[in-house]
Amino acid sequence: MRLFIQRLFRRPLTMLGLLLVAIHFGIALAAPWLTPHDPLKLLDAPLEQPTGVYWLGTDELGRDFFSRLLLGGQISIVAAACAGLIAAFGGGIIGLATAYHRGLFDDVVSRFVEMKLSIPSILLVSLFVTGFGQSLAVLIGVMGLIYMMGVIRTARAQGILIMEQGYVKAAKLRGESASAIILREMLPNIADLLTVEFALRTSSALLLVSALSFLGLGVSPPTPDWGSMIQSGLQSIRSEPWLILAPALCISTLVIGINFATEGVADLLGLEAARGATGQ
Amino acid sequence: MLIAALRRVLLSVITLVMLAVFIFIATEIMPGDALDVSLSADEIAMIPPERLAKMKQDLGLDRPAHERLLAFLNGAITLDFGKTLISKTPVSAIIGYPLRNSLILAGAVLLIAIPLALAIGIAAAFWKGRAVDHLVSTGSIIGYSIPEFVIGTILVMLFAVAWPIFPATITASTRDPALTLLASSPLAVATVLIGSIAYLARLLRTGMVDALASDFVERLRLTGIPEWRIVFLHALPAAVVPSLTALALYAASLVSGIVVVELVFAYPGLGQELVRGVTRREVHVVQAIALCSAAVVVALNLLADLAILMLDPRTRRA
Repeated sequence: MRLFIQRLFRRPLTMLGLLLVAIHFGIALAAPWLTPHDPLKLLDAPLEQPTGVYWLGTDELGRDFFSRLLLGGQISIVAAACAGLIAAFGGGIIGLATAYHRGLFDDVVSRFVEMKLSIPSILLVSLFVTGFGQSLAVLIGVMGLIYMMGVIRTARAQGILIMEQGYVKAAKLRGESASAIILREMLPNIADLLTVEFALRTSSALLLVSALSFLGLGVSPPTPDWGSMIQSGLQSIRSEPWLILAPALCISTLVIGINFATEGVADLLGLEAARGATGQ
Repeated sequence: MLIAALRRVLLSVITLVMLAVFIFIATEIMPGDALDVSLSADEIAMIPPERLAKMKQDLGLDRPAHERLLAFLNGAITLDFGKTLISKTPVSAIIGYPLRNSLILAGAVLLIAIPLALAIGIAAAFWKGRAVDHLVSTGSIIGYSIPEFVIGTILVMLFAVAWPIFPATITASTRDPALTLLASSPLAVATVLIGSIAYLARLLRTGMVDALASDFVERLRLTGIPEWRIVFLHALPAAVVPSLTALALYAASLVSGIVVVELVFAYPGLGQELVRGVTRREVHVVQAIALCSAAVVVALNLLADLAILMLDPRTRRA
């Protein structure tokens, strides 16, 4: 572990990534205490220039922009992390189960995974939003499902290798049940892989949520969100470009941070997950 | 070879049919029928029950689910996706030209992105661990970490507002010929390109690094063949084949990227229709767009599979 941390410190980009993630998560957690003004209160002064009181001015409806910027990541981060967690856990267990059972179950799941991977994620979310309405629960559920598909693939490939290991064979000979072997013997052995998958899927989910908010299909107003803030900033692109640049910088540094950190950590763990196939 | 190819085609058709069934179930059976989806609960409560029943009958919604599913599949084969619920225009008339326009955008991006990504990927792999390689690796992470709508907006700020050499939004209309459309949308093409090159270059670099480190390349080096011949004639084909299988993910993310970018630049493609369809809850339009773009992704995958069959004899036995 100490060696691991020492090696980590020798990678400037990975450290930068971890730092960015820490800053963003810190701000998202502490935002309710940091905001100087009420982010939802209409101040009756739309598109004000920055002043000592309103550090970044006000938005098109006259709300304090700096306060909204601090809060703008909260919902996306929570939604993306939940989706990443569902994807990593669900995908890990299902992937290992297919590796354990093989046969018809494996064929059916694999076909389903392939099918899901051929619908572009934005369309899949649009389908469910049309069907079930626009809500955070639907969003998290669908994103979890989308990113689970890729994790199933990775976990299945790893599971097939693990099935050959002595400890799995020993557990089988002890007469342990399939679920016990999958959960107690196999799952802990792909924990590092699933952690990296969790981070990768969370960063993809963040991109997806912000794109959806930009399209008006994600986090609904008046809740502040970087994606929708950029969308409404387009109206004043000439007079107040910082209304676009500030949230653009936030979302970009967050995702870049996660990906730098993940790549470095995955590389140190000797995992193939760092090899670019971050998916959609 | 022929049997293996036919098997791939058949599998693609099965995938597509399963997709159609899935799309139908996700939109019309699980949440209720098309009318339940397009009207809000308040609206349904306001309408007298007789009229609601009449509306359902007009739309064919009183039939059992499996009959409607068969009708949906039947229609999809002949590109008849039904009519919109509000204006009663045929869905195929609404999405026809936008579909063509989105394909034009995708084609232009692929034509530029693939050669550029190949060059970058080969260079990074050839000088592995050197400055070029680090630059490409870091650059590509940054490239696909920034959302497309952010890249697009920044390009507009730079090249349409600060230094106005390009139009901010696209002035061409839906039915303009392909070249007029592309000529009026350089910033849209550039936006999709940045993410695509970042993704593809990284993929090809990995494939190329593996190929250059393999035993057969080592053996070729020992025979004294010039290095450029090894890189381009021997290692490159070996690197491209595994990269082709990753095309599925890329094709799907290309479509997602295009949907978003079209909205940034008001490009008259499927993205516009999709968002309009979702916000107006026009189930049939969303279904048709989902099915069409999934068909494009499946077709691209089939092409990749067939190309691998031709390039790699080992796969023909399966």
